[in-house]
Amino acid sequence: MLPNLKVENLSSVRSEKVIFDNINFEVMPGQNIEIIGSNGSGKTTLLRTILGLINQDKGQILWLDDNDNYNKFRTFDCFYQGHQLGIKNLLTVYENLQLTKNSIGMPQEEIYKLLERVGLSNINDFAANLSVGQRKRIAVARWLLKEFKVYLIDEPFSALDDKATLLIEDLIKELNAKGCSFIITGHRPSNILASRMEI
Amino acid sequence: MMQSSISDWLTIILRRDLIIAFRRSSTYITPLIFFLIVVTFFPLALGPQESLLSSLAPGVIWIAALLASLLAVETIFSEDFRDGTLDDFFISLEPSFILVFAKVLIHWLITGLPILIASMIAALVLYLPFESFIPMIFSLLLGTSFMSLLGALGAALSLGRSAILSAIIVLPFSIPTLLMGTSVISSSLINQDFSGYLMIMGAMLAIGIPGLCLLTVEALLLNYE
Repeated sequence: MLPNLKVENLSSVRSEKVIFDNINFEVMPGQNIEIIGSNGSGKTTLLRTILGLINQDKGQILWLDDNDNYNKFRTFDCFYQGHQLGIKNLLTVYENLQLTKNSIGMPQEEIYKLLERVGLSNINDFAANLSVGQRKRIAVARWLLKEFKVYLIDEPFSALDDKATLLIEDLIKELNAKGCSFIITGHRPSNILASRMEI
Repeated sequence: MMQSSISDWLTIILRRDLIIAFRRSSTYITPLIFFLIVVTFFPLALGPQESLLSSLAPGVIWIAALLASLLAVETIFSEDFRDGTLDDFFISLEPSFILVFAKVLIHWLITGLPILIASMIAALVLYLPFESFIPMIFSLLLGTSFMSLLGALGAALSLGRSAILSAIIVLPFSIPTLLMGTSVISSSLINQDFSGYLMIMGAMLAIGIPGLCLLTVEALLLNYE
């Protein structure tokens, strides 16, 4: 089995300040990487650099394609969840899940099931009226719309109660079993099975 | 599950943003009211002289349309940028400029289209002859579409900054559209051929759709650096 993603000697410098230097890791199918660091340590920048939203200064990011070759460009969709969760305040809970690219063609019943799975029953409430934890649950329900090879999630366990934390841990395990990998960030190590690195 | 295509995603973006725009009614009502207020103030200020108002009508309608269409420019990308939705445009494997085009189209539908409809009321208020209605509508159709494209570029360049900045960026570049648009209506008033002006406006739009959408993508990416 080959890693879906290889990060080699990755470095980023912003305004003459080294954000991160010489980062190396591989993402095998079904395995996780957890990036630990304090506020402002460059965790988000690293995720965004991997996705190509920010240019890297040194090193390379290699993605596996269908022919088992590594390329500097990606040939498959990844799931990215940043600090801003991509939740629209003027849409209902249901609409926030239904009106996304990954839910195209998905029957209404399946969307209801996903919302139920993440513990959201108030599907007609506007997202503007939800707590941070409930908004995060909508974002987590989006993980399940499609199976992605690699999920890049920025601080998935922040602002969550124990029940929601357990739910996320279970979902990660479930998706790992299907061959999906997670690159997650956090301030301290979580309970998920992962290779950990500090930046 | 169905394989999604770019057209499916475009439909989703259009549907989502139109629902949001209609729930936040100020998005389309403010430019419309602004346009109508500016236009109706002229007869109040200058008096109801038919010949004077009809000779001023091309300029008044066009300046009001231009300024009104710039009112909602800042909102084209700001919310998507704040809530992280914009990231999806660039992470996706689909061409980002097509998604930018969808945002421009939505802006036109919520500002340009209401202005286009309201321009008929404006034409009546300013005693514009009926023969000039069709040229006016065609010039506004092409011109407001181009303004939405220009507005998107201004909004991308001023993302996260003051809303007035996008208008300052866009206004100088809107002068050719203003000149062509007023020339179309003025020519129709004196029974001259106006097709040449419309063709230039059409050409500007044809070049603007791919060109300005690509520039807007690059301007948006600057905000990630």
